[in-house]
Amino acid sequence: MKKKIISVLLCTAMVGTMLAGCGSKDNGGGSEGGSEGGDSGKVALDVIISQYGNYTQDWWTEFEKTFEEANKDIDLNIEIVSWNDIYSVVNTRISSNEQPDILNISGFADYVADDLLMPAEEYVSDELKANFVQSFWESNDMDGTVWALPILASCRSLFCNVDLLKEAGIENPPATWDEVLAACKAVQDKFGKDIVPWGLDISTDEGQAAFSYYTWNFGGGYVDDDGNWALNSKENVEAVEYIKKLIDSGYCNSAPFTDTRYPLQDAFSAGTLAMMIGPMNMVAADSKVNYVAADLPGEKTALGVCDQLMVFKDEKADDARTAAITKFFDAFYECETYSNYMVYEGFLPATQDASDNLAANAEKYTVGGSDATGSSEYFKTFCAVLPNCKFYPMQKAEWMDVRNGVIDVEQQVCEGTVGAQEALDKLQESVAK
Amino acid sequence: MKKKTLAMIQPYVWLLPSVILMVSMILIPIVSVFKISFSDVGRSGIVRGLNGVQNYLDIFAEPTFWHTLQNTVIWTVVVVGVSTVFGFVLAMVLNQEFKGRKFVRAVVIFPWATALIIQSVIWKYIINADYGSLNILLKKIGLIDGFVNWTKTAGSMFGWECWVGIFVTFPFVTFCVLSGLQSIDGSLYESASVDGASFWQKLFKITLPLVAPSLTVSTVLNIIYVFNSFPIVWTISKGAPADQTHTLVTYLYQLSFTDGKGGHAAAVSVIGFVILAFCASIYMILSLRGEEES
Repeated sequence: MKKKIISVLLCTAMVGTMLAGCGSKDNGGGSEGGSEGGDSGKVALDVIISQYGNYTQDWWTEFEKTFEEANKDIDLNIEIVSWNDIYSVVNTRISSNEQPDILNISGFADYVADDLLMPAEEYVSDELKANFVQSFWESNDMDGTVWALPILASCRSLFCNVDLLKEAGIENPPATWDEVLAACKAVQDKFGKDIVPWGLDISTDEGQAAFSYYTWNFGGGYVDDDGNWALNSKENVEAVEYIKKLIDSGYCNSAPFTDTRYPLQDAFSAGTLAMMIGPMNMVAADSKVNYVAADLPGEKTALGVCDQLMVFKDEKADDARTAAITKFFDAFYECETYSNYMVYEGFLPATQDASDNLAANAEKYTVGGSDATGSSEYFKTFCAVLPNCKFYPMQKAEWMDVRNGVIDVEQQVCEGTVGAQEALDKLQESVAK
Repeated sequence: MKKKTLAMIQPYVWLLPSVILMVSMILIPIVSVFKISFSDVGRSGIVRGLNGVQNYLDIFAEPTFWHTLQNTVIWTVVVVGVSTVFGFVLAMVLNQEFKGRKFVRAVVIFPWATALIIQSVIWKYIINADYGSLNILLKKIGLIDGFVNWTKTAGSMFGWECWVGIFVTFPFVTFCVLSGLQSIDGSLYESASVDGASFWQKLFKITLPLVAPSLTVSTVLNIIYVFNSFPIVWTISKGAPADQTHTLVTYLYQLSFTDGKGGHAAAVSVIGFVILAFCASIYMILSLRGEEES
């Protein structure tokens, strides 16, 4: 009998514990976004940062320590989240009303549409605002309001294996799309199946990048001069048909529908791929390939990729939160700190003073996880390209539908199930609805 | 009186942890998914309110959904069907006495015991046209001159995914059937042989009826596992080219986590749930009827 009573009690205790575990966490002194941080009277800031490399956490831990020492009234809580998880992590936190104060991610239009963001320009001094590279600052403008700050950038170039091209009789990187076809043919004739002439990624991973490379450099693009969607333009049709021609001619890697750019970058670094369009840091550090990064063929328009920092609304927030966030941005974009982070992660800066600094002094800073230093020549070359880069129209609310739509168009057309004009007309119609 | 009350309450107290677990981990999420499927969900995850059956209407208007549904049926029938036949035959072979039987039995279980994601990645590299080991092997033994693109069309890509599905599923059938075969009394076969029964007669009159319960269990479980299988299709093709190789599970994952359409994803999830619930009901009805008859 005693045993039975004990068992029942234990069982009840177990149920009670489970219920307690399932209950809401209301810890009173918790650090709600931007609220007073418990008894300490500090302003707590929750920051989510995307993981750019294996050592991102280390850099931000050091930054947090330095920042808190300099700002005793601010409690900074930085969380590093991998790119694989960040969208679901942020969405989950939003749906449970626990959004961070500051978020580093790519794309902000959906958060603006749901009225979740504060205009970023409210947290930036005039001095810092003037310091951003103009094209980056404007790329975050939506209906006259800048909603996010550019955190870093990269741009895409045409990478050519100089030795392979020379052996195939091609002296210079192709400057037009016809020259690309000629170079591919020369490589194919010379090396047969041993070397893939042209790397192409129209996978769901980054097929929109391919769409941008070709359409922009055929004179088309996503929007017209008035900023309206112009997906079925004559130039875009020509560009998509050109992609199909590259595949049908046998010049590309055999699985462009599923090959992401990463195996292509590996193949280029290993010397088995002659040409591809990719990010400026795509060639492996230990690669022996003799390569050159050239302008994209055609219109020579490069794709700029720029991630952002944005500030979430907090109804309970006060001036102290605004001041804390402003201090955070001032500290992060301070020339030395920001230059250090850019070399550390291997990206390009979005501010003018850091661009100038790195073009001359990149050797002062080290690459994350290694003793290698930055290269001033590298930053000088690529920072000069940045102001002329074009960006995805992320500030448009329909961007995600368009992004997925153009990948579908590329895949359908290249598989031969539908013509380019018909597919793009359909997409234009669905987006313009 | 006290004793009686305690005895009455006790079973329910014991059951309570399981019930709470099931309610919190199964029932609440199911109800939540149903609710979301009737809601307008923003890309940032905010539920803006109920929108009736709009998500379902949007999904039904998508040609991709119908193609995906068709793929899911083909995927489930082919993978479960072929695995069952192949697994059954292999179980018959492994039930015979031969040298090295233990070793073969151990090898057969590998595809099933290895994580699906690992199997999928390995097969993705095996069939890759540029550096895949299948091409290298075939070229070395002189069967092909140049590398073949094994996944050139959506059909061929989906065919390979079905093959990987079969490869990782058949060992489960084999071992289910093998356990059934080992429980059959050998004297039945001896008597049948004395009466002059042929191999096929013994197969259809003794073996099949006696392993039917094992086969039923493995088939029903496989239908559920294969229908809900995510890693193979997602790792190998992610639904490419042009969403032609999706099954319902990968399609709803894409809707939710790539396209940011949580409401549509929930609607597809509910549709999948209804289909599986329908299949499970048929199984329940048949097995209950069988129990009543016996």
